[in-house]
Amino acid sequence: MHKSRKSVEIVLFAVTAVLAILFFFPVYFSLISAFKSNGEILRDAVALPSSLYLDSFKYLLTKTHFPAAMLNSLILTVTSVAFMILLIPMAAYAIERTGKKWTHAVYIYYLAGMMIPFQVYMIPLFKEMKAFGLYGTLTAPILIYISGSVGMGVLLFTSFIRGIPAEIEEAAAIDGCSKVRIFWQIVFPLLGPCTASMIVLQGLGIWNDFLMPSLALQSSKRTMIVEIFKFVGELASQWDMVFAGTTMSIVPVLIAFIALQKYFVKGIAAGATKG
Amino acid sequence: MANSETIRATAGAETVPKKKKWLSYSVLFILPSFILYTLFVIYPTLNSFNLSFTNWDGVSSEIHYIGFDNFKEMFRSDRFYNALKNTLILSVSLVVLENAVALILAMLVDQVRWFKNFFRSIFYFPVLLSGIVMGFVWAIIFNYNFGVISQLLDKIGLGALKIDWLGNPDFALIAIVITTVWKGSGYYMIIYLAGLQGIPAELHEAAAIDGAGRWQQFRHITFPLLAGAMTVSVMLSMIGALKIFDQIAVMTDGGPGFATETLTYIVYKVGFGELRQGYGTALSLVLFVLILIVSLIQIKLLRKREVQM
Repeated sequence: MHKSRKSVEIVLFAVTAVLAILFFFPVYFSLISAFKSNGEILRDAVALPSSLYLDSFKYLLTKTHFPAAMLNSLILTVTSVAFMILLIPMAAYAIERTGKKWTHAVYIYYLAGMMIPFQVYMIPLFKEMKAFGLYGTLTAPILIYISGSVGMGVLLFTSFIRGIPAEIEEAAAIDGCSKVRIFWQIVFPLLGPCTASMIVLQGLGIWNDFLMPSLALQSSKRTMIVEIFKFVGELASQWDMVFAGTTMSIVPVLIAFIALQKYFVKGIAAGATKG
Repeated sequence: MANSETIRATAGAETVPKKKKWLSYSVLFILPSFILYTLFVIYPTLNSFNLSFTNWDGVSSEIHYIGFDNFKEMFRSDRFYNALKNTLILSVSLVVLENAVALILAMLVDQVRWFKNFFRSIFYFPVLLSGIVMGFVWAIIFNYNFGVISQLLDKIGLGALKIDWLGNPDFALIAIVITTVWKGSGYYMIIYLAGLQGIPAELHEAAAIDGAGRWQQFRHITFPLLAGAMTVSVMLSMIGALKIFDQIAVMTDGGPGFATETLTYIVYKVGFGELRQGYGTALSLVLFVLILIVSLIQIKLLRKREVQM
């Protein structure tokens, strides 16, 4: 009995390890390829690099729009997420604590948006952005991202706020504290875990997004993902450079993941069960 | 806290004007998100119904209404039925495979003795990466001439088995499915893992004492108790599959021919590649209806579950 349990454990471990190697392979492949020359990639794709070849990184950072594109991605992600966690918890708080018919109607109105895929309204949206004179600017994607996150965000935050006892807020109100101060100084700090999942989920989605920035931005404002996509078309034979770009897009996510692992998993679990 | 009790008693008279004030605050709190959401989600969505009755090209300032012509053309077009067929094939195979793989992964990382968290991170990591970047890495893995699969087959002397995955209409959709399952399963694994960890260990212990084997325990305890996680996971993977875009854009561009063209992809191609945005919005409404149906089923199923609990 004891012996068979041990062998079951070893088999389980072996199966999991083989699957893990298969799962990690594409990431491993892009990381090692970034340090290979073009010829080396074509000759033997799987082997480790024979030497630490850094020319493609140098070229990418000094001779292309890649650094500017990275900056654009960063600006888009940080600004959009900052506005989301400024505006959405506020709305969710008012909807949940006012508890009137009209706030419930607003709640339903917001949730309806979760069922509308971006592809359905993107064509009229770009037409609208042109009319506002925002098309091609970084402001357009920021507005689109914030607006698009309202449904999911309000759902997450209202269900979280529902679990916070209202007594502290009432006491502060009686002490003459304004609603704005109550919200920012008492309620907002309590929303920490929810805010963290929002930052992680939305930040990641914006950092990795392709469809929207590729259609709404001009070439000078390209994001990193769009820039990599264009590379593939333009430099189809220069795989070394393409892999250097790929690696540079993976590394920040890898670092963020290792640092914030707890929040990533919690965020996904919360987003999935609430969404 | 004791202090607030006394203050509350003396401040009782003030509550009526306070309530009024709160009303104006709540309007203030809701207004910014309300304006943005109405302006950049609801208004363009309503406008897409409007645009679907025009032959607008997306560039010119003139917009002509052509009645139901876009819809008539759509329902007569083989390309539309092909895209619909591809979308449905992809959705069904992705839902089945992603959930099967996710369930296996969740059970493995739940049961495995060593490096639990490490394995969980490895399986989950692809979820975090850009679909464009990873679609592109997989495109190279599948490349016929120098791709990883081809090179490995050459090495072990089975070069004759090489397949032109992305250039062959019979295999292109399979390549997209493999890539998507690899990229997405970790997400659903987390949902199943949460479900598994919610099952009390006593149930398994009691069943083991009664002589139930591993398979019987899975069949009669684990599987039924995972029903909730499965509802969520199946619906989310279904909605995800209906929206699939990045992998197709970078791996096949809808080809070869129209072999991997889906509804989301045809909207993009027709609207921005062929400059027929009126027709593109008409196509996008079909996608809307599909997602609406899936979402409504999800809400219904989740409601039912809430009642049971």
